[in-house]
Formats: sequence, structure tokens, C-alpha cells
Amino acid sequence: MAKGKKQTFKSRSQILLAIILILGFGAAVLRLGYLQIFKADELQSKAVNQQLTPAVLPAKRGTIYDVNGKTLAESASVWKVVIAPVYLENDEDRRIVADGLAEILDLDKEKVFEKTKQNSYYVEIKKQVEKDKREEVLEFMDKIENEDDISSNVIFMIEDYKRYYPSNALACSVIGFTGTDNQGLDGVEYQYDDVLKGTAGRLVTATDAAGTAMPFSYSQKVDAIDGSNLYLTIDETIQAIAEKYMQQAIDEHSVCNRGVCIIMDVNTGAIRAMASVGGYDLNDPYTLPDEVREEIRKLPEEERAAAESAAVQKIWRNKAVSDTYYPGSVFKMFTAAMALEENLVSEDSTFFCDGAYTVTGETMSCHYHAGHGTQNLRDCIKNSCNPAFMQIGELVGEERFWEYYQAFGFSEKTGIDLPGEANDIFFSEDGSMLPVNLATASFGQNFAVTPIQVATAVCAIANGGYLVQPHVVDRIEDAEGNVQQVISTEVKRQVISTDTAALVADILEENAVSGSGKNGYVAGYRVAGKTGTSEAKRDANGDGILDYIASFCGFAPAENAEVVCLVFFDTPTGAAYYGSQVAAPVYSQIMAEVLPYMQVATQYTEEELEALDKTTGTYIGLSVEDAERIAESEGFTTSVKGDGDVVLAQVPSAGTSIPKGGNVVLYTDESSAQEKVEVPDMTGFTIYDMNYFASAYDINVSVTGITSSSLSFSTSQSIPAGTMVSPGTVVKVQFTAGGVSD
Amino acid sequence: MRSFNSTMAVPGRENLRLYSSESQGSRPAPSEQRARSYQSRKKKKFKFVSVGLGIDMPFLILVLVLLAIGILMMFSASYPFAYAEESDSYYYLKRQILFAVIGIAAMIGLSFVNYHIFYRFAKVFLVASYVALVLVLCIPAANGVKRWINLGPLSFQASEISKFCVIVFMAYVATRYAEKMQYIKYSFLPGMAVLGSTALLLYFEPHYSCIVIMFFLVLIMLWLGGMPLKYFIVILSVVAVAFIIALSTGLLGYAMERMEGWGTALEYQNEQQWQDTWQTRNSLYAIGSGGVWGQGLGNSRQKYLYIPEPQNDFVFAVVCEELGLVGAIAILVLFALLVWRGIYLSQRCSDVFGKLLGCGLSAQIGLQVILNILVITDWLPNTGISLPFFSYGGTSLIMLLAQMGVVLSVSRRSRMEKV
Repeated sequence: MAKGKKQTFKSRSQILLAIILILGFGAAVLRLGYLQIFKADELQSKAVNQQLTPAVLPAKRGTIYDVNGKTLAESASVWKVVIAPVYLENDEDRRIVADGLAEILDLDKEKVFEKTKQNSYYVEIKKQVEKDKREEVLEFMDKIENEDDISSNVIFMIEDYKRYYPSNALACSVIGFTGTDNQGLDGVEYQYDDVLKGTAGRLVTATDAAGTAMPFSYSQKVDAIDGSNLYLTIDETIQAIAEKYMQQAIDEHSVCNRGVCIIMDVNTGAIRAMASVGGYDLNDPYTLPDEVREEIRKLPEEERAAAESAAVQKIWRNKAVSDTYYPGSVFKMFTAAMALEENLVSEDSTFFCDGAYTVTGETMSCHYHAGHGTQNLRDCIKNSCNPAFMQIGELVGEERFWEYYQAFGFSEKTGIDLPGEANDIFFSEDGSMLPVNLATASFGQNFAVTPIQVATAVCAIANGGYLVQPHVVDRIEDAEGNVQQVISTEVKRQVISTDTAALVADILEENAVSGSGKNGYVAGYRVAGKTGTSEAKRDANGDGILDYIASFCGFAPAENAEVVCLVFFDTPTGAAYYGSQVAAPVYSQIMAEVLPYMQVATQYTEEELEALDKTTGTYIGLSVEDAERIAESEGFTTSVKGDGDVVLAQVPSAGTSIPKGGNVVLYTDESSAQEKVEVPDMTGFTIYDMNYFASAYDINVSVTGITSSSLSFSTSQSIPAGTMVSPGTVVKVQFTAGGVSD
Repeated sequence: MRSFNSTMAVPGRENLRLYSSESQGSRPAPSEQRARSYQSRKKKKFKFVSVGLGIDMPFLILVLVLLAIGILMMFSASYPFAYAEESDSYYYLKRQILFAVIGIAAMIGLSFVNYHIFYRFAKVFLVASYVALVLVLCIPAANGVKRWINLGPLSFQASEISKFCVIVFMAYVATRYAEKMQYIKYSFLPGMAVLGSTALLLYFEPHYSCIVIMFFLVLIMLWLGGMPLKYFIVILSVVAVAFIIALSTGLLGYAMERMEGWGTALEYQNEQQWQDTWQTRNSLYAIGSGGVWGQGLGNSRQKYLYIPEPQNDFVFAVVCEELGLVGAIAILVLFALLVWRGIYLSQRCSDVFGKLLGCGLSAQIGLQVILNILVITDWLPNTGISLPFFSYGGTSLIMLLAQMGVVLSVSRRSRMEKV
């Protein structure tokens, strides 16, 4: 019995030993062998990836400057706040951390608390935390470590970069913005993302799971290469001028679908300003204007998300390159140019307009229903006569029209270095069209092109016939300031001869002085230009009336042109909608500021010299007699306020431009300086009424816009009627020619 | 209390005599052993302290070698974590050395203690096991589980005590009723009663991995005790059915949560799964990174906070990363030798209780090593099974070394050539 028992035990324990060693240890060794021999490479590469991922050093994104080196976009250090909730031992500690962080970082306490419950070493709390907040978090970390005995490993911060746009909405559609991972999403930020983003440092050091470097070197170190800097061709000053006047006009004419202004160097294709006004703040690209948000709030809930996304897309859209529109009468300059280039017409050729013209049975009327009668080519443009241009178009013919259409670059993208450029929409892919298509195309209707195509083609007329490629980036420099690439001028081809171009420019100059484009006139500069009013063949604002697009495109000086400016308003809903009424005055206002800024030489006519503004001198501190004598010798009249002997103050202040013969008010005591006068309503008057206002109201009136015609009327004033101002204050009044249309 | 020097008068004395009749002499010479034993049978006295035939030196050396390697690797694995967590890289090392010293003292002390004391007080031990397991449930939970009993600065894990007590009790039952093991009443029933009640208490902690270990331990003891094979077949089929039911109904709560993502650690499925399998995934990364030859001692990268608590259950993953497959197999060979030696010396023990106790304790080492490695390699769900001699932990190390002391004590009555 005992023997049997012992045998049983012995054999049973042998079996147990065998099971443990062969089955158990055997399985363990097989498993380890499989992992360490066959899966080793795969697992090791995953491990290395994980060990290196948090160690990636972000490269600093390049700065974007305007042409003068003014900063338009730059990156500054921000931090990502991360927690390792696994170190939090109880709900009390979790609550302390969650509440503290939520308060500092402006987050929801409960949501942060949920995150602190995860059993993880890496939970992101907030990205892009700025320096001051980081300091607060650091203080908080010290505090909880000392007071609540919470490990300092719970919270850590990883450096990153955030994009700042000092000029907010300025040039937003050109600059574009970046996403939370610093990737460019629009504009040059998107187009030049590869250049700007730099190269993140890889394999820098192996780090532990908390992002701290491990204490041994691992692979080789590769530093992050900061992104290159971009110098744009955009001039912030010109851009600001353009946007200012565009916005004014948008408000004045209730333009409901934004406006575009392109200012472009005619010889190099460099874009000096490109505004799609009605944009967004680059620092906050997802926030809609209040009134839009209000409208969306009124919608039924299920439609809101779609409406919001559509609204955001609308404000992001760079209309200058992404929108297509019927160029309208602006296109007549190209029709004229092709006819002249082919010697089909000369400037003396005459065309008859009886108010309408019929092509293959379809009658199209002129905007001047009585008819322009017999006109030469110059008058055809000045009158912006559609029947005449239908006749010119017939002379050119379908084939040649298509050839020039292609030559002027309308059939292809301009290749501007901005994203989202649209293609033109022509009657057919191969340029074939019906006679009636040709007739409407001759005056710019029923085919669609982009504003940038029009501006580029106008450059070809302004610069002697050369089609250049537009561009917004001037050069690329690395982080140390070494020039890496200069975007040089690319001339694609000569479209028309220099003589033809000069002739068309000359006609356009005359048009800007006395033709349909005279509201675009700028005193002292020989500007050229053409208005355009086109039907958009759509009804975007739902008022039952087809939308109009009012545009003006011109250049200055007419000879040896330097700059092209295109102004374009999508759907003005005010009383005025013609290009001559809406766009031309804006062109005039913008050019009047841009041309002096660009130091384009002035070329005044005698009449203009006569009325030229004079600059006031300094009269403060002089005796009343001396001040009156000097001011009058400079061509001003004076009026004295108060009983003192010495001039204490003057209005206008020294260095202000006021018309010759303007009134300088000299104050001689304190009380007289308190005196105020009311600004009258001076709109709707002629130039001759201005003198009356000046003397009757004791103010100075400075006139701008088209003033040479007796048909000009004042349309706006720089200080609203009813404002109380000091006597002598200068009020600018804008004049616009009435009774012109295109 | 009865004097230890008096004749043993505990229940089962007859069996003791029957099966331990050949080894009560104090002289080591095997040739004289038998004759002397028979002569002294009647005069046999129970001695608390016994040098017996001398301890088994190979077993002792294996224990000390594994302990030394274990502490070294635990230190290597834990120092970044210790620095991050406790601001002291040596935090775990210092404590583990202290535990080891206490443990070695306990081992040496127990090697001199006549292990029959455990036979005598087997029931008391079982009661102590229940007391510890009940007591731990009355103490507030740490990390959501109730496993530790705090005694001032020291805390110990109730289940570590329990494992030993169950082995002792099962050895006692199988010794006392050695002739009746074929009857359900003396083998199957007591075994299942102990297992069932202990498992129930562990369920409330909860400590599922210990239930698994306990299950295997009871089974091993019943197997060694001589329970007929048919009962094992019954037990295993019942467990299999129960497991399937538990799995499909989600009764296992905590364990189910841990088992979610079991075997999928390397594939991202969802955030929850990815977080749940973090530890296992990083363990696999570490093991794979080690390759055949390893990164070299101290060069693990995964221990830099990627493997949470690398000083505990996952210490062997770091061993694999630093020492490679070669090092891992070398250590497994040492463990295998230890288990073999423990069972070998127990087989040669002169009494049934000694055989069962020594075998059971040795098998427990092997069992934990296997389960630990299958867990860190994602073949078993991550449920918390420590690696003997390697994983950090005061109770487990001291208990482990104490148990090794008991095996050494058994070796004193083992009729084999002592080196």
C-alpha cells in the first residue's frame, strides 16, 4: 500500500514537473522567441516611433512680410497643456487639477474632470496656450505640488507655435490662415505651405512617455529647420487704402456680395493690393460677422449648420481669383484693341448707332435708347456704345476673336500664386460660337472671366502689349535672411503691338477725362480707364431683380503706365448700380491716394494748377498782424477770433492742404478756441456752390473727384452734416459726374 | 500549548509515522539511515528546530542567484519610474533590498524549523487565511481594489498569505487522508470547499488573477495527493463551462474590462481600447525591441514611463528588452532548474506531508513564472500576476523567500546527496 502510494506520488510529481517545464515554460519560450525573433523589427520600429513622436521639435513657421518688410503674419511660441492623469490618485486630487486648469485655460470644469479620470499618461487639455497662461499654469503646478502634494508630473507643457496676424482682416484673402496644426489653409499660407512650414526636427532625442529626453543619445540629432520667410509684393499701405474706399462704397451702395480691388504693377505683374472686401479677421477666421450670425440664428435649427458653413465659405472666398463674372463694357477695350491690331479699324473709323442693333434676328438695344448716331472709334468707347461694338466684333469675326481671347489670357488660368483660381466660362471649349454670341461677347457679356484675368489683360494694354504673369510673392528668404528665391517677372507673350497698346491707352485716357469713365478721373495724374456694368444673370439677394456687377478697370499714367487698378462690386443694391456711378468714383479715390504714395509724377493741366491746394504754414506764436500778412501772402484769407494780440492756435493746423484762397482761422484767446460751427449738408451741389458753403459756414471745403464738368455733383463729404467742428476745419467733398453711364 | 518536544499527538499522527518513518534520524549518512530510523521509531520526538540531513545547497544557490538577478533587473526597470514618481531612482531598490534581507532571514530561519509544525497547525493556517481575506475586505480600497492590509508602516497583501496557507492545508488533507483520496469526501470536497470559499473572498477584493493561481494550486495539490483522474476531468469541464458563461454574460466586471482588448494590443480599435491596452502594448514593444541579444543592461527605452509601473508585473518585459531572448531564456532556465530541484528534493523527502508541501511550493513558483510571461506577452489577459524574485513587493518577496525556507526545511529530510 505504502509502496503504491509512493509510486503514485512520484509519477504524479514527475508528470507535474513535465507539464510545468514542457508545456508551461515551453509555451513561454516559444512566445518570447516569436516576439523577439520574428516580430522584433516590427515591434522595435513601433517602439521607436512612439519614443520619438513626442520628441518632434516643431519648426517655426516662416514670417510673411509685405513688400516693405512690414509683418503680415508671424508665429510666436505657444504651449500645449497635457496631463498624465494616471498619477492622480483620487477624485479629490482630480478635482483640484481639473478645476485649476479649467479656470486658467477657460474650459469647462466637468469636461476637464472627465479627462483627469482617464488612465493615461498623455491627455491633451488645450492647444495653443499663450505665454501669460503658461506662467499661470506653472504657478498652479508649484502650488498643487506644495499645498496638495500632487506630483509635478501630472501636468506638463509642450512648446508649439501659433500664428498671429497683426493687421487682422487686412489682405485676408491673400494671406490666408493656418489650422491648429500650423498647416496653411488658405491664401499664400496654403500656396507656400511647404516653404513656410519648415522641417520639423526628427529623431532629435528619444523621450520618455512624458516627453522628457531619455538620458542617452539615440540615433543622430536633426534640428528643426525653421520655415522660410515670404516677402509679398503686397504693399500694406496701398492695401489699406484700397480696402478703406472699397468698404466705404460697399456701405454706401449696399453692395450685398462683397467687392474686389486689384492693384497691380503693369510691367512685373506684382500685385500691390488685392482686396476681397467683406472678409474676416485672420486671427479668428471661423467667426462670422454679428449680423450674419444674427440672421443664421433666425433660421430653423436644422438649417443653421449648413448656413453657417456657407457663410464662412463666402467670407473666406478670394473673389479676385475665384469668382467669374461677365466683364461687361470693360472688355470693349480688348475688342477695340484686336480690331486695331488687325487693322480692321482705325481711330477714325465711324460706326452708326440708332439705339439698337440686330444680329441674326436678335435685336439688342443700346443703353442710350435714342442712339449715339455716327461716332468714331474714340467716341464709341467714350459712349460705351454696344451697337458700335457689335459691329466691331463682326469685323473681327469669331475666329480672330477667339485667338485674341486666348492671347489676352482669358482662356487659361493666370497662374497667380494663390489657391482657388477659377477657369473662364466661354461659349464653347474650342472657341466656336454663334454670331449672336460674338455680338454679345464684343461688349463683354455672356462669357465669364475672373477679375485677376481682366486686370492682367489690362496690364497688357497698359505696358505696351505684354501679357505678364501676376504674382503676390516677391521673394523667399530663409530664416537667416538669405534670399532663396526671387519671383521674377514672367512675360508670357506679346499680345498686341506697342503702337496699338499706346493708341488704346490714349483713348482710355480721353475716356477717363471726358467719356463714360470720367468719374474715375484723378486730378494731376493722367489716368486711363473703362467702366463696366454687367448683368450677373443671377439673383443672389432674392429681390427679384437680376444682379448687376459694377466695375472699373484702368491704369495710370496713361503713357508709361505703372499701375493697373480694377474695382469690382458684386451686386450693389442701392439706387446706383452702374460702373460709372459705383466703381469709377472708388477708382478715383483709391488712385488719388495710391499714386502720390507710389511717387508717380504729377502732370497737372493749367486749369488744375489754378485750383491746386496750398499747404498752410505755421502761424502760432506770431502777432496777429504778422500772421495775417504771411497767410495772405501765401494765398489764404484769414479770420481772427478773440481779442488777443498773439496767435495761440490755428485751424487748419500747419501743413494742411486747403484750396487756394481758403480761410485760415487764427485764435488769439482761450475762449475763442471753444467756438464751434456746424457742418452743413453739402451733397447734391455743384462745384460752384462750394465757395458759398466755405464762406457762409466758416469752414474749408476741399473737393476731390471729377470737378471739371458743370454736370458734376457732390456725392459725399468727409465729415457728416450736423457735426460740430472748429471754424476753418477742412471738409473733403467728393464729386461725381452725373448723367454718364456705360 | 503543548511543548514541541513532546511526542506529536496531532490527528494524522499514524500517517505521519507511516510515511515519514525513514527519515527522522539526524545523521546524514544514507547507508546508515534506514537502520537507524527503524531503531529510533518509537523514540521519535517532535523537534521544533531540526538540522536533519542538511539543506539542499543547489536549491539555496538557485534561490539566491535568482534573487540577485531579480533585484538588479527590478532596479534597472524601475529607476526612471521611481525618479518620476518618487523623485528617487533608488526608491524601489532600497525597499526591495530591505525586504530581501528580511526574506533571507525568514528563509534561513524557516529552513531550521521542522515543517511538521505546519501539519500540526494546518487548520489554524486555513483560518488565518480566511481572517486575512475577510479583514482586507473591511479596509478602504486603494486604486479601487482591496488587497492590502496596513500594519503601521508595513502593508501586506492578504492573498500572498492565503496562497501559502492553502498549500499547507491541502498538503495536510492529502497527508491525513492519504488512503482515502479516491473518495470524493476526502479529496474533491475539501479541495473544492477551500477553493470555492477562498475564491469567493478573492472575488470581493477583487483579485481574479489570484483566483486563477489558487485554482491551479488546489488542483496541483489534489493531483499530488492522489485524487483520481476522473474528478479532474469533471472539474476542468465545469470550469470551462462556467468560464464561457461568465464571458458571455459579462459577470466578471473588472476582469472583463481588463480582458477587453486582450490580444489586440497592437491594433488601434478605439480610444478606450487603445488606453486599456497601453501597458500590454508597451510591454510587447519592449520585448520585441530586445531582439535576440537585447539592448544591453540598463538600456531599455520602454522603461522610460512607457511601461507603467515597470517594477511590478511587467518587469520581465524590461528584462527581455535589455537582455534579449538569450537573457530571457537564461533566466527561464534558472527558474526551471529551481522548480526541478524543488520537486526533485521533495520527491525524496521521507514523509508524505514534506513531499506534498515541497512540491506544491516549488510548483507555485513555476506556475507564477509561466502565467506572468504569458500575461506580458499578451497571451493571457492582463490581470496582475507578479514574477517571483523579480517583481517589486514586500509581502510577496518575504513570503516567497519564507516559502523557499520551508522547501529548504523539507530538503533536510530528503534522502539525496547533498552537495
